[in-house]
Amino acid sequence: MSGQDALQSTELRDFAQMLSEVFTSGDDHRIGEVVELDRALWSTLTELGLDRLTGSEESGGSGAGWLEAALLLEAAGSAAAAVPVAENDLLAGWLLEQAGLDAAPAVRTAAVLDADGRARHVPWARFADSIVVLWESPQGWQVAEVARGDVEIVEAVNLAAEPRDHVCVDLSALSGRDVPAGTVDEFRYRGALVRALATAGAMDRILELVVDHTTARVQFGRPLGKFQAVQALVADIATEASLVHAAADGAVDAVVAGGFGDASTRFAIAAAASCAGHAASVVARNAHQALGAIGFTMEHELHRHANRILSWRSEFGTVASWDSELLAAAGEAEEVWALITGGPAR
Amino acid sequence: MSARLVPRAGTPDPALTELRAEVRAFLKEQIDAGVFTPGIDTWLTRWNPDFTRALAARGWVGMTIPVEYGGHGRTFMERFVVTEELLAVGAPVAAQWVADRQAAPSLLKYGTEEQKQRFLPGIAAGEICWAIGMSEPDSGSDLASVKTKATQVDGGWRISGTKLWTSGAHHADAFFGLARSAPLDPAHRHDGLSQFIVLLDSPGVTIRPILSMSGDHHFNEVLLDDVFVPDDLVLGQIGAGWEQVTSELGYERSGPERFLSTFGVLESLVHGVADGSVEADTRIGATIGRMAGLHRMSTAVSESLERGENAELAASVVKVLGTKTEGDLADLADEIAGYTAADAHLAELVRAGVMQRPGFTLRGGTSEILRGVIARGLGMR
Repeated sequence: MSGQDALQSTELRDFAQMLSEVFTSGDDHRIGEVVELDRALWSTLTELGLDRLTGSEESGGSGAGWLEAALLLEAAGSAAAAVPVAENDLLAGWLLEQAGLDAAPAVRTAAVLDADGRARHVPWARFADSIVVLWESPQGWQVAEVARGDVEIVEAVNLAAEPRDHVCVDLSALSGRDVPAGTVDEFRYRGALVRALATAGAMDRILELVVDHTTARVQFGRPLGKFQAVQALVADIATEASLVHAAADGAVDAVVAGGFGDASTRFAIAAAASCAGHAASVVARNAHQALGAIGFTMEHELHRHANRILSWRSEFGTVASWDSELLAAAGEAEEVWALITGGPAR
Repeated sequence: MSARLVPRAGTPDPALTELRAEVRAFLKEQIDAGVFTPGIDTWLTRWNPDFTRALAARGWVGMTIPVEYGGHGRTFMERFVVTEELLAVGAPVAAQWVADRQAAPSLLKYGTEEQKQRFLPGIAAGEICWAIGMSEPDSGSDLASVKTKATQVDGGWRISGTKLWTSGAHHADAFFGLARSAPLDPAHRHDGLSQFIVLLDSPGVTIRPILSMSGDHHFNEVLLDDVFVPDDLVLGQIGAGWEQVTSELGYERSGPERFLSTFGVLESLVHGVADGSVEADTRIGATIGRMAGLHRMSTAVSESLERGENAELAASVVKVLGTKTEGDLADLADEIAGYTAADAHLAELVRAGVMQRPGFTLRGGTSEILRGVIARGLGMR
């Protein structure tokens, strides 16, 4: 029926409740250090079947879909969870399935290699047991799984000190499995969608932090939140975060309805990535403004989330590249409105 | 995770998609036949009674009014879809706008049986036009400070005062005049207010035009000089005006006109990029992305209303974001194409957008007031 929110089933509500117990915010500071893989959390995820949530049950996965994955990614995003939950399941795990390769339990990440076997800013590479790589050989696109020991890694981090390592693989030593040519495109859309969903979750947590701070801190004899100027800052965080949720939900619904190959799904993902990217500017700026100096100290939680959303928006294509893609899609569709709402153009 | 301010939108009902296509096809026919030229902010500025009646003949005015009152008994969501299509194309819908959006639902909620039978069939037929009787010279955002006074007399009330910024009053048949029916109690400012159905051809009503900076006449000043309103035209309860007007504002704030007022500009910019007359500026793409998100959010608000929920907070979020986006779009077109644009249609839209934009973030509750509503929803006030 119309208006039925896809998340209103009892199963999904229970699932969301479980996630809120697994992912908790605020207790992990790791001052001044590169973010390390949270192995305790990872083993909890493994026990609960959340490490390979969308993998087929035959291959040891939990057989869930994108609605569940979206809830997981938002929860992980809101907790700044130090686990490659998106990379392991929705990128590496998916690539292995595409290639018909087995996937025994492991910590995996994924990368698209260039002709020299290199990839930059690969998430979590140094902590992964293996990296699932996708590259274009003279015979077409190939997928292979490479043990970390066989990968040359130069450590690097994103703005939030999450591992984003540069990797190099000897392509001549690899034997890959053929995958369809569209795989590399889908990889990018998947990556953008997982980051938009995590961003939506992180923005929820930022809003909480800002509301907590501005209602608790007193200046001029009253809480900051009683000042209209501060209320306006916080309201704009809330509106932008709501927009990111709406756009990301739209993309998830499009994936569920039509898969990643569908043009309307790609448009919806580009919209989500664009909205998340632009919203990150407002959310990070306003949150820092509302928190004052404490907000950009190492000890405060805010930067962990603010710097993540500012990093994530660049990781599977720049914000400007998504804006360009939206404009190009509109040009092809000849009508923006039909593109947004579906159905024929006028 | 915190509770969402805007609910998640549901999955589209195929019947709604069909309705959308039907409206879209009709609008294309009308444009092709030269019945109207797509415009900007047409729900306020383009008054076309013939077109409104043509829509009514198709059952697209007064859609949610029950059949027994001449309406069509359709859902909020069906009305939402039709409304979105009309706005996105920039159709001339001002003649039906206030009547359809807020007068009909307020009459259904608070009106007497006699009032419903008297006004609703005409609204659904596109024959009765309504205006808004809230703002005054000294009462804008602070609506509880209205000074228009209602004095009880034999058989009814005498209303005196001035209403301002009354869009379309010079065409309209009536408005709900918000008036103070009991003296102001500073401790209970929301008490003592009432709403009256004021027929604008009543003796004592004077309507004076106020020209907008574009030179167009939409606004009016409505002087009420001892205007008699019989008891049977009191809307709802005497003294319950604040609650009623807040409910009316809910309808006024929550619709897709809060992000689609300039949508035609976006279509023209995209066409301009395609034919090389407009630079391929990435900000156009960013605006398309925001519009896609806003469409989802506005859909969710409408679904929430359909479920009978209080959507005040969600509507405020969408209105703050949507009115900024539609205004920024007008500004973007001005930056990229300008009123000097070679494409005459685009140039006209740019001009109209610049002229209309200041109103977007004012009317129906300023963005400043709505940010306060959001802050309250977040527990800050």
